[in-house]
Amino acid sequence: MKNNKVFIFGMDCMEPSLVFEKWRDELPNLNKLAAGGAFGRMKSTVPPITVPAWTAMMTSKDPGQLGFYGFRNRKSYDYEELYFANSASVKEKALWQILSRNRMSSVALGVPQTFPPKPINGTLVASFLTPNKEVPYTWPPGAAAELDAIAEGDYVIDVKNFRSDEKERLLEQIHTMTRRRFKVVRSWVKNKDWDFFIFVEMGVDRIHHAFWRYHDVNHRLYEKGHRFEHAIRDYYRYVDEEIGSVLPLLPKNTTVMVVSDHGARTMKGAVCVNEFLRREGLLALKEEPAEQKKLTPSDIDWSKTTCWGEGGYYSRIFLNVSGREPQGTIEPQDYERVRDEIKAKLERLGDENGDPIGTKVFKPEEIYREVRNIAPDMIVYFGDLGWRSAGSVGTGAIHIFENDTGPDDANHAQYGMFILNGPGVESGEREGVEIYDVAPTVLSTLGLQVPEDMIGKVID
Amino acid sequence: MNKGFVVWFTGLSGSGKSTLSAMIEEKLLERGVRVEVLDGDEVRKNLSKGLTFSKEDRDTNIRRIGYVAKLLARNGVCAITAAISPYESVREEVRKAVEERSIFVEIYLDCPLEKLIERDVKGLYKKALAGEIKNFTGVSDPYEVPAKPEVVVYTGDETADQSCARIVKTLEMLELVPSVPGDDYGADEEEEVAKRLKDLGYLG
Repeated sequence: MKNNKVFIFGMDCMEPSLVFEKWRDELPNLNKLAAGGAFGRMKSTVPPITVPAWTAMMTSKDPGQLGFYGFRNRKSYDYEELYFANSASVKEKALWQILSRNRMSSVALGVPQTFPPKPINGTLVASFLTPNKEVPYTWPPGAAAELDAIAEGDYVIDVKNFRSDEKERLLEQIHTMTRRRFKVVRSWVKNKDWDFFIFVEMGVDRIHHAFWRYHDVNHRLYEKGHRFEHAIRDYYRYVDEEIGSVLPLLPKNTTVMVVSDHGARTMKGAVCVNEFLRREGLLALKEEPAEQKKLTPSDIDWSKTTCWGEGGYYSRIFLNVSGREPQGTIEPQDYERVRDEIKAKLERLGDENGDPIGTKVFKPEEIYREVRNIAPDMIVYFGDLGWRSAGSVGTGAIHIFENDTGPDDANHAQYGMFILNGPGVESGEREGVEIYDVAPTVLSTLGLQVPEDMIGKVID
Repeated sequence: MNKGFVVWFTGLSGSGKSTLSAMIEEKLLERGVRVEVLDGDEVRKNLSKGLTFSKEDRDTNIRRIGYVAKLLARNGVCAITAAISPYESVREEVRKAVEERSIFVEIYLDCPLEKLIERDVKGLYKKALAGEIKNFTGVSDPYEVPAKPEVVVYTGDETADQSCARIVKTLEMLELVPSVPGDDYGADEEEEVAKRLKDLGYLG
């Protein structure tokens, strides 16, 4: 009789250098798991963003195979606004569906990109793309009432408005959200039948974005002795304690994993990608913006535009191609040459003083096994993610130091972390582990065959 | 969705009952539906071991399968059955028994005999035509086509996937099986299935 179960603590954005190095002696539960098992950095998707990273992890498929490249994606080659990729966009099979097919049950609590909820064998609770709690966001539908009953009367899917100046409110809400979610975890671990249990805590990501400047000595705005200086450290300690409260409840021989979908890193500022493109003569606006504003398609003079960009932790560049876009200016036969020219310009971009920042530019067909739906023409890591990207125009500069969508201090890092602790796992650090390896490892641990089209390998 | 129900396949040997029942089983399991398959060939190795293909024994076999299917269905499980079940009156008997508590979805696999003989997937038609196997349905034994099955699939013409999609869409429209957000599996079948179910009196 197979008795191995798998439990995954999903910690969105948890940073390996903090867990395994800086705060190793302050996080006893995480480090006991690591010391007794395999652990290390885990390479995320390109781009290292919550969507598509968690889905890539659960399906072992890359963003090109999944057909979405971030939260917001182009539906067509028109100039319209981008659409949000939710669970309906996920055509590949996730772990809980494969397990259902094999008569095994799962609990999937708060995994990003699971709204609207799909029916499975087990219990699924959708994550922060849920618009509000009035719509069905669980499977089975009755689970929603259970959540609130266990979680102090009001289960929190995500904190409201984490890019905000109200730091006290945010800190308190992040703690409340986490505390309530762990209550649900402890209850369901005991009361639900499961072969596989995964939950994702978003608080780690939220606290990084909101409080990194107080924690990071390299941040421009760091002040020693600030009252929020230890907010992130204290939260990591708190999460470690909560993890410690779950471990004794797990059945014997459960294989435990702790994973993050990407890491966190210091950020120097934001590159206003569209202002940069204007300066290079690649993008033209109908009129000079009177003040800083979000760029919309109707602002652009397409007849004089070669490409435009979107902001975020990384940047996407879209080319204006004749016969593809409605008012394209690039002849199809010139596409590659023009794209390479833009790439070279992006790579040469320096900081506010003109010093090199080491920008990386990716072409989708070079990094993905296939390219489904509409991928950006280029994916850009300004300063190798040391700078984020701001899409606004009218900023008066190419380099700005406050984010244009609200205060946000940390960027994402390409490497998240993993810990794998269970029967038969040899202890020690592992190199070369990728986000695609999690699903094969879970299936193999449960004694199931790994589908041939999964691109990762079993962590051994 | 805790309602149990019966999916009853009926059709000649080699028409695709086992294939389709396995496909449906997988699709339903993936959506968290509890499913069991009672496959004729399998059942004749255990529950119905020792039964022959005489009319009397075939009837006994079908009644046994029907009995188990009814027990499963009334306990919230989807029982998929895959047996030739050539005789209308026994099929109706089973339907009546199941319908006391659960919904009975009959799937007729319509495939021309010539195609089945041509394919001869198990090599049985050749033997039957040579007289080596007696009482072989379609060759030396009768098959009574169902009058009002809930679904008809044309396994001589369409792909297994098309047949499967029509069946799943029917189960979704009867609210026996949850649909999946973003999954447009069976979208092509929707109009036809709706019409059929309306004609049969299932939808208002």
